[in-house]
Amino acid sequence: MKDRYSRQTLFPGIGKKGQEKISQKHVLIIGAGALGSGNAEVLTRAGAGKITLIDRDYVEESNLQRQQLYTEEDVWEKLPKAAAAKKRLNAINSDVEIISIIGDATPEVLEDQIKGIDVIIDATDNFETRMAINDISQKYNVPWIYGACVGSFGMSFTIIPGKTPCLNCLLRTIPMQGMTCDTGGIISPAVQMVIAHQTAEALKILAEDYESLRNSFVSFDLWRNQYTSMKMSKAKFSGCLSCGDNRTYPYLDRDSMTKTMLLCGRDTVQIRPPVTGEISLEQLAGQLSTLGYKVKGNPYLLSVEMEKERMVIFKDGRALIHGTKDLTHAKSIYQRILG
Amino acid sequence: MNKVMFFAHLRDKVGKECLLIEASGKTVAELKAEITKEYSLDKMDTVMTAINEEFAGNEEIIQDEDVIAFIPPVSGG
Ligand SMILES: [Zn+2]
Repeated sequence: MKDRYSRQTLFPGIGKKGQEKISQKHVLIIGAGALGSGNAEVLTRAGAGKITLIDRDYVEESNLQRQQLYTEEDVWEKLPKAAAAKKRLNAINSDVEIISIIGDATPEVLEDQIKGIDVIIDATDNFETRMAINDISQKYNVPWIYGACVGSFGMSFTIIPGKTPCLNCLLRTIPMQGMTCDTGGIISPAVQMVIAHQTAEALKILAEDYESLRNSFVSFDLWRNQYTSMKMSKAKFSGCLSCGDNRTYPYLDRDSMTKTMLLCGRDTVQIRPPVTGEISLEQLAGQLSTLGYKVKGNPYLLSVEMEKERMVIFKDGRALIHGTKDLTHAKSIYQRILG
Repeated sequence: MNKVMFFAHLRDKVGKECLLIEASGKTVAELKAEITKEYSLDKMDTVMTAINEEFAGNEEIIQDEDVIAFIPPVSGG
């Protein structure tokens, strides 16, 4: 198919040379939900050489409103997202090699997959994985593109090791209660806007047009009509443990990870977050009941009835997920609610 | 005077897109603490701050006329 990329090579920022480069590159996409689907589709159509997709979830009905690669059939078949995505992406462009990994993007998995990767696209739904991506990026000198959205609000920032500040410079710690799509809802245009920012930057990196990278942190609200671009030249933190002189890559350490544990004979998984602190149970209860979950609570804990499971969340962030023995599934439920 | 802008759920909590506050001489952390109290927000430690569209740390001192934006990092994807 000689004409396949003609409109993209006509674009002066890419050209024939840029297209040649794009076709030799390998992209790692962490997460195949809304952002992961969109990023993967754009980069598959654009003719990236290889795309590795990692995701731990199955396709559910509530995904279809915004996760563009999936169909009702995928929901009926309960296909893992990584498998359903691969099927669709292969149908879109058979030139692109799609490698799909069904599982949790733990630091070990990231270490295994990082070799030969040219850019990492963040399409996760939690900060723990993002901080691990951030450390892997610094350790192996591979750029990554942060993207996130909730409601009508979205944000993105491109992190280039040695050039820009990293995510740990900006946050210094994992935010305890980041808003997630399961607590704050999400509209598809906010997803698409983040995807547009991430994929434009990815194409610049793949075509090796580094001069054109954005350098600023963008955030926008498509419902409230706000758009802001924050310059980051002063944001690098010299004492940063991920990118500073005395770096230790703290988020690749097992101790910094969310701990899941099966409680014997109880069909219950216990989840302990990496940082303990106080979460606002009252606020969380309000959000969850607005969304139609049955919530009961007292000053110490909150009990949430989900479709199949029941989750009990304690004030220090610890939770018990009743009704499952699947550790990965339990962690996924937890991070969907608590970020 | 300083214009202070709010994004995402902070905007909902405060009820306005921006406020006019006298904040010159205060640090970003002090302003965050003040607003947290006044609007009974959750802790704003990890909320990012821009002063005149440039990232600012919690220790930075606010000058008269500076425009401040509070941008909460979100995790959905
Ligand atoms: Zn850093």
